[in-house]
Amino acid sequence: MIDVVGQVGRWALRQLSAALQVSVLIVDTFVWLVIAPLKGKGLRWRSAIEHTVEFGVRSLPIVGMICFLIGVIIALQASYTLDQFGANRYIADLVAVSALRELAPLMTAILIAGRCGSAITAEIGTMKVNEELDALEVMGVNPVKYLVAPKFLAMVISVPAVTAIAMFIMIAGGWASAVFVVGVEPIVYVNQTVGSIVEKDLLTGMIKSVFFGVAICWVGVYRGFQVEGGAEGVGRQTTASVVTAIFLIIIIDLVFTVLFYYV
Amino acid sequence: MSTPPPVIIVEDLQVAFGEKVVLDQIDFSVQPGEIFVILGGSGSGKTTLLRNLVGLMRPRSGRILIDGKDFTAMSSVERMEIRRRMGMCFQGSALLGSLSVADNVALPLREHTKLEESTIDIMTRIKLELVGLSGVEDYLPSELSGGMRKRAGIARAMAMDPEIIFYDEPSAGLDPIVAAGLDELIRTMQSTFNLTSVVVTHEMESVKIIADRVCVLHRGRVAGVGTLAELEQSDHPYIQQFFARRADELDAADEAYARSLTGID
Repeated sequence: MIDVVGQVGRWALRQLSAALQVSVLIVDTFVWLVIAPLKGKGLRWRSAIEHTVEFGVRSLPIVGMICFLIGVIIALQASYTLDQFGANRYIADLVAVSALRELAPLMTAILIAGRCGSAITAEIGTMKVNEELDALEVMGVNPVKYLVAPKFLAMVISVPAVTAIAMFIMIAGGWASAVFVVGVEPIVYVNQTVGSIVEKDLLTGMIKSVFFGVAICWVGVYRGFQVEGGAEGVGRQTTASVVTAIFLIIIIDLVFTVLFYYV
Repeated sequence: MSTPPPVIIVEDLQVAFGEKVVLDQIDFSVQPGEIFVILGGSGSGKTTLLRNLVGLMRPRSGRILIDGKDFTAMSSVERMEIRRRMGMCFQGSALLGSLSVADNVALPLREHTKLEESTIDIMTRIKLELVGLSGVEDYLPSELSGGMRKRAGIARAMAMDPEIIFYDEPSAGLDPIVAAGLDELIRTMQSTFNLTSVVVTHEMESVKIIADRVCVLHRGRVAGVGTLAELEQSDHPYIQQFFARRADELDAADEAYARSLTGID
């Protein structure tokens, strides 16, 4: 019994100290992203732009392809039911709403977590193993300023930007299969899509995606700083980074979906 | 000749990882402009001591005075100020793998000064020339040999013209010729710039070449401090053993293990 209490206590302490470390990281990021540049200490714009290219532009091919295929798939799945009622034109509504509100933000975030969240962890973890983080510290260069702030900025810009493109591509995928496989009139599909989208659908999807970006970046960075003991540690934390990020993405998704359901 | 005040004073330092005390009762001081070697075997705590000296770790108790100011008890702003006057060369060189050699050396200049890019460029070239590495500016650290990486690490440590420089195992993992070259470089740096240098090593050969004074660490304690000649006179058994490069006496367990392997009684 005592053992169980001890175990629970130790677990709680571990979680608490992790929460503390994450909070310190969050505060530091904002200091170096918002306050320090105002004081003229500068932000590494070049690095931020390079990371935006890496996280955003280089993610586009894979995100685009996956989202196009998902669009194709939803349209066909929708037709399976709607066809029985002769309501195939409503495929457009279903694809548009699910792409904007849910699937495009979610797929983009999951793919970027796998592609870039893991890369962030691996990069910072390797630097820790090679004493590069210590070297930055000794040189008086703050690792959060040097490494985290540019990545954070890049992630918060890239994920929503890629999501917006992914929404469009997913609807295009739906259009392609509805028109060429199911046989919906192209112009009918387009009109139906335009008619079904409201501003709020777009907005909820975009708001979610900003928070997905925040989660991917912080999980990646936090896991990177957690690396202990050589290449094996880097591998372990990189895996953990992707798993944690996807888990958090789903939780954030749930919270916002519930929120927007009532608002 | 009156001796100037020491640059670094370590007073009754104790360092622990959790319950385990790894350094205890460490006392020594480093004079300006000398090469002070911290010598010890594997696990003697010498790297831990160095990490405390540069502020990467906090001791449990005791003080580290740099120029008379307590380095362990100062605010992070003050510590940053002191750090700009220190340079450190890491065992694995710790050059940033994503930057070219020149960008690595230029990094502290770009972060801490408002110099023109052209000035930084020239200063970077000078520092690289100093360590005998001209012409490799655009290479990535991974494209250099181990010895060249260490030299680039020294150039980076020298970028801000420090007054104190720390070397962690400068000759580790290098062949004797390259290692001797590095020893010579450490000497040149010290004599050219009157740099106070603290070198952590286990290599007796390089100690003989570079050391002004030596501090021998054994199991987390100071076994002796002094010039090589003084230490050779020491009757501390570990120092004698280290200088004579003699292995530990086989204790009973080792002998039993050896017997179990060979099958000979």
